[in-house]
Amino acid sequence: MLVYVIRRIFVLIPMLVVISFLVYLGLELTPGDAVSSLINPEVASRITPEQLQALRESYGLNDPFLVRYVIWLGNIFQGNFGHSLAGGVPIATIFLDRLPATLELSFVALLFSTIIGCILGTISALRRGSPTDNFLTVFGMLGVSVPEFLFGLSVMLIFALNLGWLPAGGRLMPGYETIWDRAPHIVLPAMVLSLMMTAGVMRYSRSSMLDALTRDFIITARSKGLPEWRINLLHGFRVALTPVVVLIGFRLPLLIGGSVIIEQVFQWPGIGNEFITAVRGSDYPLVMMIALFSVFAVLMASLIIDVLTALIDPRVRLN
Amino acid sequence: MGEVMLKKLAGVALATAMFMSGTSLVSAETINSEALSDPRVRQAIAYAIDMDTIVETLLEGRALVADSMLPNGPNKPDGLNPYSYDPEKARELLAAADWDTSRELDLVYYYGDQLTADLMAAVQAYLADVGIKITYRQLQGDVGAQLTAKPDDAVNGPANITWDLGYGAAAALVGQEYFNPYKTGGVSHTPGNAERDALIAKINSSSDPEVQKEGYFAIQKYWSENLNSIPLYYQQLFVFESDRVNRNGGAYGNDQYNYNWGIENWTVTPDENGKKVMYTNTAPAQFFEAPWLNLGIWMTTKIVFDRLLEVDGALNPIGGSMAESYEVSADGLTASFTLKDGLTWHDGEALTADDVKFSIETALRIPTIHAVVRNTFTSLTGSEAYESGAADSVSGISVDGNTINLSFDTLDPNLLITFGQFAILPEHLLKNADPLQFQQDPFWQNPIGSGVYKIEEVQMNDFTRYVPFENYHGGVAKIDEIVAFPSYDGDANLIKNATAGRMDYGFTKNTGDVASLEALDFMRVIPVDIPYTRMIWINQFSRK
Repeated sequence: MLVYVIRRIFVLIPMLVVISFLVYLGLELTPGDAVSSLINPEVASRITPEQLQALRESYGLNDPFLVRYVIWLGNIFQGNFGHSLAGGVPIATIFLDRLPATLELSFVALLFSTIIGCILGTISALRRGSPTDNFLTVFGMLGVSVPEFLFGLSVMLIFALNLGWLPAGGRLMPGYETIWDRAPHIVLPAMVLSLMMTAGVMRYSRSSMLDALTRDFIITARSKGLPEWRINLLHGFRVALTPVVVLIGFRLPLLIGGSVIIEQVFQWPGIGNEFITAVRGSDYPLVMMIALFSVFAVLMASLIIDVLTALIDPRVRLN
Repeated sequence: MGEVMLKKLAGVALATAMFMSGTSLVSAETINSEALSDPRVRQAIAYAIDMDTIVETLLEGRALVADSMLPNGPNKPDGLNPYSYDPEKARELLAAADWDTSRELDLVYYYGDQLTADLMAAVQAYLADVGIKITYRQLQGDVGAQLTAKPDDAVNGPANITWDLGYGAAAALVGQEYFNPYKTGGVSHTPGNAERDALIAKINSSSDPEVQKEGYFAIQKYWSENLNSIPLYYQQLFVFESDRVNRNGGAYGNDQYNYNWGIENWTVTPDENGKKVMYTNTAPAQFFEAPWLNLGIWMTTKIVFDRLLEVDGALNPIGGSMAESYEVSADGLTASFTLKDGLTWHDGEALTADDVKFSIETALRIPTIHAVVRNTFTSLTGSEAYESGAADSVSGISVDGNTINLSFDTLDPNLLITFGQFAILPEHLLKNADPLQFQQDPFWQNPIGSGVYKIEEVQMNDFTRYVPFENYHGGVAKIDEIVAFPSYDGDANLIKNATAGRMDYGFTKNTGDVASLEALDFMRVIPVDIPYTRMIWINQFSRK
């Protein structure tokens, strides 16, 4: 397995390079650049072409596309992630500032959605056709179909603005010292994010559990007279978990970029919010790094899923 | 003798013919093959758009219909044509101009809000009614270049832009800003013209308000006939304050700029711990903006930095701020400012006249500074040599102890206004900053100023906390703490924060914000007339 993992990690590098090139190309094809984003049109009319040229030169935007890409890639391989063109902040600093906020929100959402989704999915499967199952099915459909921003705005209106139970947004306020000071701020965004994810996990674990319960080994276990809870949890649930783990694994990259909309709605100062700002401002070094980081997360998640699947299901062999 | 007489007769006949046609002398300005260069077509467009209805409906009455580029005030003459809605008149003018009704004009804009999209739809409908077909689109990408690419020949063209009509705005600090861009070679859409150049020169020729007034009267009368751009409406600014805030007599004014609003005397209802905290917006998401382009929009620009002079709510100079005294020569070509004793930066370093010199020289090498400020500094003797790198310093600036002396090659009528807005920055912290990447300097992560408040804590994209500067020359501010959140006008977070009680002061130009803010029973909204004119630019150059 170790050899397999090492080999997969080495395969990641060329994949990342190819993907980074495609993203860079995409940015190049987007109209405008960082300088045109930094200067509003009313000011642009008063700047001479020479001054604009000098500005572009200072940002390194006058070089041909391939030269800029190679320079950028070379810097990445040397561990230099560059600076944001908008504010000159080192991108590593931006990641260090923003990533914890995104991870905090996403981990909480992932944790709750996984636990609750698996429990509800299992209950739904075990009570197939019952009112409980029907209710949870409707809940699941709603969860996957209601847009995040709509749900986010609704809960904000109810719980923050009307009832005043929770803060309307943001992550920090002056004077916060402990995690308990901050805790109320994460409740609403995490609730919205986890509801979306819970619905998916629940639907997936329900069908997976239903599939597992029809397998021969379940009939065998039942014929051996094992208690029903043992059959369901130790035999059925364990097998049903495999595809759920795959689903959850593929949600790991959401830890980086999946909460973009929720971060916008709740003014959560995470990397998703930063990504939106960077794209709007054609801040290509920042866009590249966030995109690359997201791709890296997807590829790593894929690797982790393979390893976890092999660990959970003895029939799977890695080679 | 006979030849002279014939010429005179021909002149009289021509003038009579123009008078009889009812199109006045401006028809003589149909200067090229482009139909939009015919003033009658531009007048027809103005007559065709019912701005009264647009202001009452789309803008919910929160704007003023414009009859000139310049906002209402003492510099506006009587008798300007308001171009009140008259579709029949528009059709007549178009017929007289032989307008091609099959032509489809391309109207561009760059604002991303719904109000603008609705306005474009209304304009399209009004113009279609008189026989002018248009399509409209929001510019994407390098908007500046698409709007402002000037022709190689500033008089004869052809145009270097592709659009026919553009919807935009001018937010002015001084009246000249509305007209100065139209000097020959200044804009992408209006051909150069000696008569207009002379009128523009007139409004820039003196700092005497009476002389300027005469010039403004003349150029507005010219504009009213020619409509090189069509003014649509004057945008208002809306200051909002919660009932926790008391200005204690502090003035209201144009909050897009800096003025003496007496914030050091403002008070706010204390919280349960007895602490006086005021909440506001415009905290930065990634960096603090340098204060030389948008001179007073952000809270940090207003309260963290200070200026040599002080201006009133209408932005007229009223005295010194950091300057103990100042003097301008009668011809306006020399000026001196003497700083108050004992000024310091927020970090305790002494603030000297060298900081002023440094700020002016640095600003000269930054392309993106405010046009009025730039005009003042490029009028300084030796500024060109310094800008080009031929000189190490601007010869027109000298420092004598606490006094900074300036000498100018040309008169700048707005010299004092510039120094009422231009923030002085610390040389000891910015002397190594690259002017071309000034905004990228680490200084802008937590700037040091000399204003009434200093930055105490920055949680980028979360909040910024300001506390009174204990050594401020105007006294220590009474509010214990100002907390700013990163929300802006037209931003849903502004209303959300206000509703949640986290917004005590701010301003917006977004009429949608105003309706929501007025619905909050603890919030008062104060409309302020500001020089901000929305207009339609017209590409009058021949096409390639």
